[in-house]
Amino acid sequence: MRHNFIDRYAALDSPLHLLEARTKILAFTGLIVAVLFIPVDSGILFFVYFFATAVLMGISQVPLGYIVGRTLFILPFIVLASLAAPWHGYMEVGALFIRAVLCLMLLILLTNTTRFVELLRGLKKFGFPQILVMNLSFLYRYLFVLTEEAMRMKQARDCRRVGRAPFRKELKILSSMLGTLLIRSFEHAERMHSAMLSRGYSGDFPLISRRRFSWNDLAFLCGVAVFITSTFGLR
Amino acid sequence: MHIPDGFLTNRLALSLDVVSGATVLYAARRVKVDLSGRMVPLMGVLAAFVFIAQMLNFPVLGGTSGHLIGGSLLAILLGPMAGFLTMTTVVIAQALFLQDGGLVALGANIFNIAAITCFSGYAVFRLLGGASAKGKRLLVAGFLSGWASLMFSSAFCALQIALSGAIPLSVGLTTMLGYHAAVGIIEGLLTAGVLSFLLKVRPDLMKVNGSANFGLADWAGALIFVAMPAAILAYAGSSRLPDPLEKLLAGSPLLISGAAPEELSSAARMTDYLIRAAVFIVLVALGFLAGFIARRRSVKP
Repeated sequence: MRHNFIDRYAALDSPLHLLEARTKILAFTGLIVAVLFIPVDSGILFFVYFFATAVLMGISQVPLGYIVGRTLFILPFIVLASLAAPWHGYMEVGALFIRAVLCLMLLILLTNTTRFVELLRGLKKFGFPQILVMNLSFLYRYLFVLTEEAMRMKQARDCRRVGRAPFRKELKILSSMLGTLLIRSFEHAERMHSAMLSRGYSGDFPLISRRRFSWNDLAFLCGVAVFITSTFGLR
Repeated sequence: MHIPDGFLTNRLALSLDVVSGATVLYAARRVKVDLSGRMVPLMGVLAAFVFIAQMLNFPVLGGTSGHLIGGSLLAILLGPMAGFLTMTTVVIAQALFLQDGGLVALGANIFNIAAITCFSGYAVFRLLGGASAKGKRLLVAGFLSGWASLMFSSAFCALQIALSGAIPLSVGLTTMLGYHAAVGIIEGLLTAGVLSFLLKVRPDLMKVNGSANFGLADWAGALIFVAMPAAILAYAGSSRLPDPLEKLLAGSPLLISGAAPEELSSAARMTDYLIRAAVFIVLVALGFLAGFIARRRSVKP
């Protein structure tokens, strides 16, 4: 079973990967917000931001095919929603579409240049609620375990079932599958908690990273800030 | 139902970010989980469970398929606040891992998918089922809470999209509610099915939420929570719609100019938004302060 569908390329070591998580969170959030504030009628700004995204993609060394593939995977919904808005001119629909795609690409870039644990560490340092950070780190760790269990159950169901059962039966199967998975999750949580306690856990979760905020981070942040202000100032 | 970036007006998306952020902070304070207790791994693993359950598709009529959303199930199992935090974790993970829903639209998605489903689902379940429902009553309450949670959630989603001017309210509301009335049946049946399965197999697990700590102050809070978005939506709606608050502010120095907002330069527009956001944060802070004081009072006697 494939387990690396989440942060598949986060372990590369391009210049973008080597930056600290906080830098990237700030920079990418800034870029996404800036994209959302591009006025409908300024084609040149859309072009400039597309260019900047492309440059970042180039620096990041994440395969272009992967980014395009992920974007295409999400795209149908965006296309559907844009087409459902014929109440505006083509300009507005086009701008909406381009904005959505740009934001999507920037988000893909952020999650694929930062390991999830480092992203969490960055969020924690930004003052994200502790309990949410812990939830996310447990989710990340147990996703794979539970995915495997769910896959095994699905396989077992598909082996024992020919074609499709009647609606009631099908529903009963799915709800008992979910119920079993739920009980297994409870049991995992109980076992995990006693294992954690026996290893001296007392409520804190150290998230270790060797990255530190360096001059490179400062330079990158300044670059992004100058870029955003100049694109909006020069307009 | 995950809203991508760019679909809501920036004003609406950013104000919903603030609302959801404040709700998350409030819930994180409210659950008062002992960070070394067993609740912490439980919430995390259940978040993983919901994340996966949302990928197990179930064939509905025709070629479409539905899946469990799980908001009301989590709220019933863990209590509304812990359930909301767990669901928020799922929504954040979906945005980060699967790019389902945008980064700035995250507040809107947390609001629709986590807050509304958990709180409305829990309220419906408690109203119909009471603290300890069994048998048929559990099935009915579970079904209705699952179904209602989706209806509320999709109604808010349609409202937000309409306020952003993308799709007119009548069209959006009928399609969203119509579609989710069908999908909600699946959600309701699965919620009821999982609950009754759990009651049959491991009845001890149904007690994790510490049952009856949902007092009068919480009901008042829930009411405020439902009333607040209506006010926010009226405030943060797009400039195409008649906006009473905007008219109210037009005379004051808060609004930088009385002219149509389209004519402002983008920098001025940004500061305009920032000022509005600041005003909004102050209002929300006042609201939470009021709720906090009300809770203090109700706890004392």
